[in-house]
Amino acid sequence: MQPATTPARFLDPELLGRIGSLELLARAVVEGFMSGLHRSPYTGFSTEFTEYRQYNPGDDLRYLDWRLLGRTDRYFIKKYRADTNTQCHLLIDTSASMDYAHASSVTKLQYAQFLAASLAYLLNRQQDAVGLVAFAEKVHTHVPARNRTGHMRTIFGNLSMLQAGGETHLAASLHQLAEILTRRGIVVIISDFYDQADRLQESFQHLRFKGHDLVAFQVLDQNELDFDFKDPVLLLEDAETQEQMPVLPDVVMSGYRERMRKHVEDMRRCASTNNVDFELLTTKQPLDFALFSFLSRRSGK
Amino acid sequence: MSFLTPLFFLGVAALAAPILVHLVRRTRARRVQFPALVFVRQVPQRTIRRRTLHNILLMLLRCLAILLIVIAFTRPFFSGGSAAKDNSAAGATVILIDNSLSMRREGLFAEAQRRAESALDDARNDEQVALMSFDKRYTVLNRFLAEKNRVRSGIMSLTAGWDGTDYEQALRGAESLLSEVETTGPKRIVMISDFQMPGWTQASATFKLSNNTQLTTLDVGGNNPPPNIAITNVEARGVVFGQKYLDNVVVHVSNFGDTPKDHIQVDFQINEQTVEKRDISLNSRDSRVVEFTGFNLNEGANRCTIDIGTGDFAPDNRFYFTLRRETPAKALIIEGASRGRSDSLHLQSALSADETLPFAFTLKSAGSVDPASVSDYKLMVLNDAGPISSALADTLVRFVNAGGQVIVSTGPKTQADTLNASLQTVLPAVLREAVQTKAGESVAITEVKFDHPIFEVFQESGRLASANVIGYFRSEPRANAAVLARFEDGSPALVEASTGKGRVLLFTSSLGPSWNDLPLTPLYLPFIHQMVRYAGTSEENAWSSLGETFTVGKQKEAAPPAVDTPSGARLSETRLTPDGDLLVTAREPGFYRLRYNGAPGFAAVNIDGAEGDFTKLNLGEFIAGVTGGAGTAEGSEANRNASNEEVESRQRVWWSLLLVALLLLLAESFLARRTKMVKMIG
Repeated sequence: MQPATTPARFLDPELLGRIGSLELLARAVVEGFMSGLHRSPYTGFSTEFTEYRQYNPGDDLRYLDWRLLGRTDRYFIKKYRADTNTQCHLLIDTSASMDYAHASSVTKLQYAQFLAASLAYLLNRQQDAVGLVAFAEKVHTHVPARNRTGHMRTIFGNLSMLQAGGETHLAASLHQLAEILTRRGIVVIISDFYDQADRLQESFQHLRFKGHDLVAFQVLDQNELDFDFKDPVLLLEDAETQEQMPVLPDVVMSGYRERMRKHVEDMRRCASTNNVDFELLTTKQPLDFALFSFLSRRSGK
Repeated sequence: MSFLTPLFFLGVAALAAPILVHLVRRTRARRVQFPALVFVRQVPQRTIRRRTLHNILLMLLRCLAILLIVIAFTRPFFSGGSAAKDNSAAGATVILIDNSLSMRREGLFAEAQRRAESALDDARNDEQVALMSFDKRYTVLNRFLAEKNRVRSGIMSLTAGWDGTDYEQALRGAESLLSEVETTGPKRIVMISDFQMPGWTQASATFKLSNNTQLTTLDVGGNNPPPNIAITNVEARGVVFGQKYLDNVVVHVSNFGDTPKDHIQVDFQINEQTVEKRDISLNSRDSRVVEFTGFNLNEGANRCTIDIGTGDFAPDNRFYFTLRRETPAKALIIEGASRGRSDSLHLQSALSADETLPFAFTLKSAGSVDPASVSDYKLMVLNDAGPISSALADTLVRFVNAGGQVIVSTGPKTQADTLNASLQTVLPAVLREAVQTKAGESVAITEVKFDHPIFEVFQESGRLASANVIGYFRSEPRANAAVLARFEDGSPALVEASTGKGRVLLFTSSLGPSWNDLPLTPLYLPFIHQMVRYAGTSEENAWSSLGETFTVGKQKEAAPPAVDTPSGARLSETRLTPDGDLLVTAREPGFYRLRYNGAPGFAAVNIDGAEGDFTKLNLGEFIAGVTGGAGTAEGSEANRNASNEEVESRQRVWWSLLLVALLLLLAESFLARRTKMVKMIG
């Protein structure tokens, strides 16, 4: 993998320009990502008044409308809409399997880095708190979600330092993260999801149970879908386990495609079952396509 | 099994092609990191092993097909004779090494020895091996031995000789030797030679090896023999009787190479003094004749050489011959008494016209001859002598029996009965009646033996029949007589018979003009000269060929002289003729020195002129010729005397090989296509 050296790498002006063209559409669709254009799914205590409700014992007296109590002698609690105080955590799988690129020059991890940076930038423009978590066998990078000035530099710095390595224990890592991310928010998982769907289902349920809204980007190289090798015979090596296997691509191809297609279907079904937004991306697809797809899916929330 | 064209075995190199294709196509699997290996692992992988087996099978099929095609092109054949042989039994091998003159070329004989040693090494330990050398003759050096070391030492002791080459003779000898050995194993002849063309002529070939003898030829001469110019022959009269040599010394020079040669110096020397030089040019494959004449000779033996300075193969660039000048012997012409002009006028005139004749003639009438003086002469000519005394007749008979030569001619004065009676025991024919043709008529001399020395000079012209004969005696040849010419009516004209050590020629017409017009024709002079030369002396060759035997006369001494070879060694041969002359077999070229008391004699010996022709023998024709049709290339074996059908049958295996190769290629195509289909379906 060729690590990014500067945060600017993830802010390619051309890429940002294309993302910027989608900005109005994104604001109109996704609640909580862009302030003022959509509602936060979570009611908070911002300054914007929304409604009154009758006071019930146990309510915080700080939100009691004293003026109204003076004029009407009734107890009402003021309700406000929160101003994009949503937390979004970007979870990036950095296992060795992500360090793969067949025809393109962009590995899956690089693509994940681009995608995460773009999302972080967008979220930051909306004044949302963005956090970063990178994991392989276990969580090795954790930047808590913040909305402070200069936080993005921290995010980008950590993003650029990510390197692939180690085995994937995706389900276990998600379980671990479910315990770490105590404040509910949006969790964006960027991975190749090479794990069993039933185990992933449990981890999704765990995160959902913690109140997180999940978005899953499965990033694959196109050749992982096609298995299109020109060589008559290959010695395939698992980057994580170093296991080697001689194969005849022309013979194996159809069986492999079938099994990969089934895996992707399983992932979709698993995501759908757990109300997780799932999107399959290949490293050849433009990032704006990924963002557009993401924002489109979030428009209903 | 043997192969007609073993050179095609070079095609085995083509096997590298399918092997290389296999190896290249089987290039090491590229190692690729692939994250989704878990899904690959779930696909059954038996196909890899099957594909590998397919590929190996394809490669083997291709290799086998190519191998079969190559073998088919080498035209394998099975030797029929050996099929009946017990190949497990030890056989017998004759190694024939050519040690003729041509093997003296640089390195050739050493190579032949090396190849002979290799052949010896190839023989089984229990195989019996014999060693023979050959040139125009063959020599058995080792009869069949199982001890290889003795044969090996025999090979190493051989040297190249001086004689020509005769392959048939060598094969005859080898097969004769093989017939001595009792074995159930194969019999084999290994012939090692430079295989030059003069050694075997297909047109005159008569010998073929027997069915159960195999022939292996090992050619050491290379395919491009060097050019060579050689003196192939010199024609000269060995004995002359005058100071000046008036005949022609005819020198034949041949260019056996393919390139013309200019400025060839032909140097004629007598007693190591240059007499004359000529400069000649020769085209490729050309021959020239150079003639020398009119030079003076010393009394006695003269050593003559012809040299050509061409710088190529040295042994045939010098030719040796001797010219001996002798004093003419005494000869007597006896004629009948006559008045006036002598009847022997024409004969005398003819004999005095040539100084080269070996006789000095004296003329006497029959009545004036002293019988006691007859022994002083070497030749007596009875020219229509008429009646002779009984004393003279008895003397003549003794003269002939002692080795004297007599020419008898008839004529008008000849009385047949008297002559028959007086010379009964020596006269070649009994004279009958005299025949006189009618006026204006004549008979011709016909049925001439032109191969006889007397008439060989007339062979080209044939004009002898132009002489008109009007009178002759009919005669009846004796049993031991030879009729050399006849008249038209079949009556003998010239009859020859040997009696004792001498010889008598009888001419049944006259040597004068009385009964024929022969003396008036141009035929007379050569006829008389040839008859006198033939009757008067034995021709002595100016030189002998290697291998020939020449005699060394004892002359007046009791024992033959000592003889030194050209290389200076004293000859140890002791074979003598009944007359006590020494018989010497010429073994090396040059002058043999005959150590007579007083002036020494010389005998010239030369190599076979044809041996300088290094042109390659067509080995295929040769082997086919001596083996009966199964011609093979060098180094292979051939069996012989097979019919064409048998030969064809033995060679037909190539057809089967090609058929099998075709089937293999079809199978290969099917397998390859199937593999491809599997790929497409996969």
